[in-house]
Amino acid sequence: MKKTIALLAALSLSSTAVFADYPTKDVQGIIQWGAGGSTDTVMRSIAPHVEDALGTDLILTNRTGGVGAIATKYVNAKKADGYTLLMGAENPQMYKVLGLAKIDYSDMIAINVLARGTPVLVANNDAPFNNMQEFIDYTSANPGKVKLGSTGKGGLASIVLAMLKSQVSLNYISIPYNGDGPALTALQGGAIDVMPVVLGASIESIKAGRMKVIGLIDKESNALLPGVSPATDTLPGLARYLPWGPFFGVFVKKGTPEDAVEKLQAAFHTAADSPDFTALMKKRGFTILNISGEKADQFLNSYRSTSSWLVDEAGFSKYSPEKFGIPKPQ
Amino acid sequence: MDAFHFFATSWVSPELLGLTALGTFLGIYVGAIPGLSVTMAVSILISFTFSWDVNNALCLMVGVYMGGVYGGSRTAILLNIPGAPSAIATAMDGYPLAKKGLAGEAIGLSTVMSVIGGFVGIIVLALAAPTVSEFAITFQPRDYMMLGVLGIMLVGSLSGNSLAKGIFAGALGLLIGTVGLDPMSAEERFTFGVVDLWDGINPVAVMIGMFGVSEALHQLHHMDKAVVKQKISRIIPKLSDIKKYLPLSLQSSFIGVIVGALPGTGGDIAALMAYDHAKRTTKDPKVPFGEGAKEGLIAPESANNAAVGGAYIPMLTLGIPGDAVTAVFIGALFIHGLNPGPLLLVEQPQMFWFTVGNLTLANIFVLIFGLTGIRLFSKIVECPKGILIPLIFLLSIVGAYAINNAVIDIWWMLAFGAFGYFMRLYGFPVGPVILGVILSSLTDENWRRAILTESGSLGNFFAHIFTSPLSSILFMSIVLIFVSQTSLWKKHLKPRLLRSK
Repeated sequence: MKKTIALLAALSLSSTAVFADYPTKDVQGIIQWGAGGSTDTVMRSIAPHVEDALGTDLILTNRTGGVGAIATKYVNAKKADGYTLLMGAENPQMYKVLGLAKIDYSDMIAINVLARGTPVLVANNDAPFNNMQEFIDYTSANPGKVKLGSTGKGGLASIVLAMLKSQVSLNYISIPYNGDGPALTALQGGAIDVMPVVLGASIESIKAGRMKVIGLIDKESNALLPGVSPATDTLPGLARYLPWGPFFGVFVKKGTPEDAVEKLQAAFHTAADSPDFTALMKKRGFTILNISGEKADQFLNSYRSTSSWLVDEAGFSKYSPEKFGIPKPQ
Repeated sequence: MDAFHFFATSWVSPELLGLTALGTFLGIYVGAIPGLSVTMAVSILISFTFSWDVNNALCLMVGVYMGGVYGGSRTAILLNIPGAPSAIATAMDGYPLAKKGLAGEAIGLSTVMSVIGGFVGIIVLALAAPTVSEFAITFQPRDYMMLGVLGIMLVGSLSGNSLAKGIFAGALGLLIGTVGLDPMSAEERFTFGVVDLWDGINPVAVMIGMFGVSEALHQLHHMDKAVVKQKISRIIPKLSDIKKYLPLSLQSSFIGVIVGALPGTGGDIAALMAYDHAKRTTKDPKVPFGEGAKEGLIAPESANNAAVGGAYIPMLTLGIPGDAVTAVFIGALFIHGLNPGPLLLVEQPQMFWFTVGNLTLANIFVLIFGLTGIRLFSKIVECPKGILIPLIFLLSIVGAYAINNAVIDIWWMLAFGAFGYFMRLYGFPVGPVILGVILSSLTDENWRRAILTESGSLGNFFAHIFTSPLSSILFMSIVLIFVSQTSLWKKHLKPRLLRSK
């Protein structure tokens, strides 16, 4: 009897010790997108700071495929012990309505939502319009003439367009590309005229005068884009969706011990606060959020309802957001 | 003078010199292991070199890139497993050479030709980068589509004895390439609801299976056959040989630079196109292609290393990656606080010549490391089959897993290995299958973009082809190559029209 008690005591001691000591081994970071992409770049630039704060190695692996669903499912198939992190972008928030997966970030624990991007509309320098109003006028005067790049259903471009279409009717040809990079290359070569894209992906080309900004999809003007007025000036109705933008975040499986979650949250908070990282993100036009817990959940839910309902109204959702209890945006 | 100063930065600093050498050495081995890609190696180095000075980090990564592209030829020649898709064409004639006991000579020749190709790429980068990159971005979707079609026509060169069987294999490859989420509409194609199939079947897994595993299975037929003794008397190719093949190497290199500089295509397509070019232009090869023709080794090796310089062209001038590896380089520059983009050369003028100098240095190290240790490597082929065959299997499995750290790729690799074995048994060439997988999405996506641009009108599509000089040239090439392969031309028209003699 005594032996059993001693054994139990030892066991409980050792198990609490395991939790108290988190992390006792290397932490694996699973990146949803491929090497060289913006998610990859952001995660690889914050990782060394996290390693310092956490006191362990953070080993990054790219697991691409299925607009990030393969990485998301992979992390959720692992043990909920805080040793496997999902490092991703905004895409999972659309999985349910697009029928891509049964899980999204609301089924996971947010360690940190690092930063948010601002969408802009960029155009080929030779395009016969220079701002939002001219763009709208031109498309309505020349239906089916403007070639617009997109990045597939549920991508940033499709949601920005759904926003615009909720305000005005637009008639254009949509030409899909496999990402911002190839689309912006095509824009410079004249294969497409307009592309909705995150500011960070286009800022260098804008500064160099290789393409022009015709719309800033935000409520306020942006320090990096002097002289560009926010889209709400032309379309005040957009205000109810904004600010909206793609984001980068780090997540763990539900059921991860609280101690591990807290330590990870603290480490990522410190890391995202480091001057190196913030300077890097600002220069690329990203807004630092560095939020976790309730604030992060609020942000994630608001992103999900805005985007899901927009996509649903635009008619390309597979399931209604209602099915998953996603509330309409206020 | 400034340019020279920046060019020499990595030559005069022992630290940078050492890092470039180390990178090149590592790159050769990473490149040689199938499945371990240069892209992956360079992106791991990003985290590893995070706290380093940017120049040190770049030296190491440039070395890995240059070495890695070259390294793919090693296993292609020795074991018939291309280290990367850009070495597929190398295996076609490199492996037969090794089977004849000429592995040392083949590696030596491929090294020298890779280095020549590398230099051509660097020279074009140094002298004509802005012009080439402006040209590269004018490629419209229809032009990419036609490049894809041109590529598909290489089936003729890769088929061996029966064109019909080659076409069958190529079509199968195209079909395999369509598996996954449709890149345009995200509709599932041939996925049967399996999420692991969304991203399609990895071409590298198909490649490792079809080349490596099927070859290993095939070898089991000849277990009792004595292994071929390797002649290692000559490793560095004869000067007269280099002179003789130099024109072909230069032509292939130019194909490599241009195809490499195009943002939508890379070294794999460049190498295959160069192989095709070699086969088409070589009048009387000493040894037929596919059985160990040196021309078939020289062309792809020159082209894929020339594509490195090519890929840097749009990256340094416009911030547009020329291939997957330069995309990672852009990320690295970003992390180190530089702004990769069209303004890079204005804000950081030293970057351009530093990179050119560094690439040149790495290319010299490829020559040095490439030509040493060949004797040892040739011995691999002399290994008893009982050791070699399990080794090939092991390498194939590790390689397939390494592609994306996914077990499913191992299953695909093994399945295609078994399938490839039967294809060989019945005389079907495996090369066209890989060709099809690689070109499938390029052709598919760009055809659809092109026709969407014309709102579905074929008339407008052809009208635009003939109003653009570039499109017209590509279209003419397709027609010419097609006609020249038909029996009508070969048997009736050619003798009549070219009756000069």
